[in-house]
Amino acid sequence: MHFEERTIKVIIDEEKCLGCKTHVCAQGCKTYDRSLLVIRDGKPALSGDAEYAKRVGTECLACEYECWFRGNKAITIEAPTPGLEAYRKKYGIP
Amino acid sequence: MARLFEYQGKELLKKAKVPIPRGEVAATPQEAAKIAEKIGKPVVIKAQIWAGGRGKAGGIKFAENPAEAQAVAGNLLGVEIKKLKVEKVLVEEKLNIANEYYVGVIIDPSMGVRSPVVMFSTEGGMDIETVPPEKIAQMKVDVLRGFRVYDALNLAANLKVPTPSLPVIGQAIMGLYQTFKDYNCRTAEINPLVVTKDGKVIAGDCRIAIDDSSVYRHPEFGIEVARESPTPPTELDKIAWWIEEGDLRGTAYIAQMVPEIKGLNFVGYHGLGGGGAILGVDALNREGLKIADYADTSGNPTAAKVYRAAKVIFSQPGIEAYFLGGFIVANQEQWHHAHGVVKALREELPKRPGFPCVLMLCGNREKEALEILREGTADLPGRIEIYGSEKVYETEFLAKRVKALILEYRKDRGIKEE
Repeated sequence: MHFEERTIKVIIDEEKCLGCKTHVCAQGCKTYDRSLLVIRDGKPALSGDAEYAKRVGTECLACEYECWFRGNKAITIEAPTPGLEAYRKKYGIP
Repeated sequence: MARLFEYQGKELLKKAKVPIPRGEVAATPQEAAKIAEKIGKPVVIKAQIWAGGRGKAGGIKFAENPAEAQAVAGNLLGVEIKKLKVEKVLVEEKLNIANEYYVGVIIDPSMGVRSPVVMFSTEGGMDIETVPPEKIAQMKVDVLRGFRVYDALNLAANLKVPTPSLPVIGQAIMGLYQTFKDYNCRTAEINPLVVTKDGKVIAGDCRIAIDDSSVYRHPEFGIEVARESPTPPTELDKIAWWIEEGDLRGTAYIAQMVPEIKGLNFVGYHGLGGGGAILGVDALNREGLKIADYADTSGNPTAAKVYRAAKVIFSQPGIEAYFLGGFIVANQEQWHHAHGVVKALREELPKRPGFPCVLMLCGNREKEALEILREGTADLPGRIEIYGSEKVYETEFLAKRVKALILEYRKDRGIKEE
């Protein structure tokens, strides 16, 4: 699944979530954001619709962090800055 | 405040019926010669840079004829004056000055005022801050009542401007106020407002800055970064501006200090809290280090915003360290900073093993923030040191740590110390 907040995209590889016992993404979301993520049928799911996530999400990045360290590394957050990739390429920054 | 160049400001004054000298802007010596030819009399050639004191710095020259104008413009274009590159010059008729006045409109934000203030002085051509108060007439404008022609006349009359000049000077003051209002300025100045020997009143020079929050209303100026700056924005400044342009959740101020890093000792600087962050810069400077950029993420920005700021800082070629300088016991929830910084470091450090990072976060949620920083960076290949409020006043210690880690990093890479 994936969903967007105002300027970021959260991508969750649900295959990896299957064996997850900690469900730290939802806990992190509750602590640092606004409980956009909840656990439904053993997997992360949105508590509201996509528009709701976009409107109220605080882009805290906590679900990705928690999943790295206590989950199954199933979450990737994309937060690009337009033009930065090309700038780095131009100046040889890897 | 987003500044305009003199030639842009004068165009606005012209629209407001304030007389300006005959002239045009030129980007090449040949264009300067053509303009001088069109004017058909001695000209003044003025470097278009965002700096005061151009005359003393060699940025204002005179020419008697088009050939001379071409030579003078050739000498000015492309050179650096006050560390600013001259890309355009304004070629104008030379004025026969009899008298010089000052007119300015500023916003006084103090609690007792909070309104525009119109100022007039008979001491034109000087820095207004150096003029004694008795030679400045001023009026706080009630914006509901407005500023009227007789207010302008009263200001000039209070300082005993000769009666024949009063109407034209009054009109120039009105024109400046109108410009200030129409273009949402923070400051607008004509200095000097010249009275020529044949009795004409002309705006000799002007300085106009648009309020940052109003820049979007004036796309005609082509202002790419709505922020006060002594220099035009760099390529990276423009990219970084996107982060905060439309996202008002906290700030992500980023300004490159040098467009291109040459040599050693440059640090990617990520400060928190404007004044506190400057303490860190001072400490780094005392250690012989320089900041490649000045960044400030404050006001409880989102973690995504902090992450992007850190990524921009890491995108500067030639930096030798990253310094998160939270020299402030902040009210903002610092765990968002921790999450943002950790995400950036986890992307950046594997690509530059041993890279020095000194991280300090203090204030609200400090304990949790430091835990996130420690856990999130424990497996990374950088030289990472993490501090909290126990070191908030110890800028010198932290700058020394940055320096020490840089020296180790240089050793790793076989780079000799400077």
